[in-house]
Amino acid sequence: MSYPPQPPQSPYGQQPYGQQPPYPPQGPPSGYSQHQYEQSHQATQAGMHVPPPPYQASPAGQFGAPVFQPPGGDAPQVWDAGTLPADDNVNPYCFSVDLNGAYYLQKGKMIAYYGEMRFSGIGRGVLDRVLEQNFNSPLHASDWVVAEGRGKLLLADRSYDLNSYDLEDGNLTVRSGNLLAFEPTLRLKQSIIPGFLTLIGTGKFVAASNGPVHFVEPPIRVDPQALVGWADCPAPCHHYDHSYLHGVIGGLRHLTGIGGASGEEHQFEFIGAGQVLMQSSETLMADRSVGVVAAEAGVPGAGVPHQQHGGAPGLGNLGNLGDLGRRFGL
Amino acid sequence: MAQFRLQGSRVLAVDLAGDTVKARNGSMVAYTGQMGFKKLSGGGDGLRGMVTRRLTGERMEVMEVKGQGTCYFADKATEINLVRLNGETLFVESDNLLCTEATLRTGTSFTGLNGMASGNGLFTTKVEGQGWAAVTSNGPAVILRVAQGLPLRVDPGAYVAHTGNLHRALKSGAGWSTLIGEGGGEAMQVEFTGEGLVYVQPSERMTLGGEV
Repeated sequence: MSYPPQPPQSPYGQQPYGQQPPYPPQGPPSGYSQHQYEQSHQATQAGMHVPPPPYQASPAGQFGAPVFQPPGGDAPQVWDAGTLPADDNVNPYCFSVDLNGAYYLQKGKMIAYYGEMRFSGIGRGVLDRVLEQNFNSPLHASDWVVAEGRGKLLLADRSYDLNSYDLEDGNLTVRSGNLLAFEPTLRLKQSIIPGFLTLIGTGKFVAASNGPVHFVEPPIRVDPQALVGWADCPAPCHHYDHSYLHGVIGGLRHLTGIGGASGEEHQFEFIGAGQVLMQSSETLMADRSVGVVAAEAGVPGAGVPHQQHGGAPGLGNLGNLGDLGRRFGL
Repeated sequence: MAQFRLQGSRVLAVDLAGDTVKARNGSMVAYTGQMGFKKLSGGGDGLRGMVTRRLTGERMEVMEVKGQGTCYFADKATEINLVRLNGETLFVESDNLLCTEATLRTGTSFTGLNGMASGNGLFTTKVEGQGWAAVTSNGPAVILRVAQGLPLRVDPGAYVAHTGNLHRALKSGAGWSTLIGEGGGEAMQVEFTGEGLVYVQPSERMTLGGEV
């Protein structure tokens, strides 16, 4: 069968993302390894262009597998345990972990794996020790799974964009729903800012975003819905645009609601050295419950579980009994 | 002979010269030239196929497209994967089958408990013969090779299709800890052994096993 010659198409029909270089030329902020960071960034970029297929197409019908020859020239890439990238993106939406030991991942994000692996919920007796080392947060353990064993593990999350980041003795804070997986060398803590998690230490983690992630430099104000996380920024704060509420007309508008709002009066402002991670859409990823912090004076959001989604209202109080309602999908 | 090509990654363009393709009902988005669209009852496999599909619940709303020109198909902006069959069999969830050449035969195949776990019923759709088939996936599909001594385990919610000589078995990682709620989140897995290719999408359907 012959096919009309087609111009080669970009993989996944996307143009390469016009991302900012991850770090400014004036040098990386302290606590970061520029090399590591760029490497990770490059790797992600490389995942967006399909690399030359290491697997040479086998002769037609070698074992009853069809011959893939789309009219575009390059056949779709077929991966196997050997050719899957190690700790890198397979495509913008799928990440391959070269597992040798343990890895933490959000529940239900495994799509396939080669090799011998076991997935166990965190909080089982054997894993209590590991838990102590890595989870210095009241994060609900039932949302996390530890994968143990050897092999290649594929992660994906509702076909959102996945990116991996390398931290070298650094810290990065990310929205709880966006964090997908992390190496056990990193420590996970709950941020003081409700709904966010902070990763500290050295290692790699994978985060999902709705649309590709952009790195921007403070000082900057970002839309709350577009914020994915930030690294090293000392002062994330709220910023309200009150100017339109000034004066008589503004006061009337404020009181009556007549005239409406632009929807952009509230932003997050970042000041200081670091990087802010932004996604290219304002669609929030469903947040994960980050657990309940101790009810104590001076603790923001204490005693109140943030972003509780799912669970039936009547079962919400079961809380530390294991959050049965959410677990059983009630 | 119908010519299948991708227009971008989410639109399938089929060049027709008086021949026929079968496509999911309502998936045409545009066409040039002269086209006729005929609804086929019961998946277009004849009376026997119709009864089988009705019984198995692997229902497919299929139309027959015939004409001269180019017809464009798409489904909810899902990614489209072209599969060329040369006498092999493609197993695919009926929800993911977008379009096939008229030379291909479609039917149903019993999957047993595997299908049960993936929430797609006990049956799956079988495509065999010579020609092109277009399979949709939520996000670009990752094609994984299974060889001897290299089994693959797949989350049922991410499974889209497979070809080749593969054996499917449902593996359960569920134990006592799943029952008390400390499960690993991956209690149901489908293990593929043998030789062939498995299509996996970077997204998970809602499945029965998804929450345990």
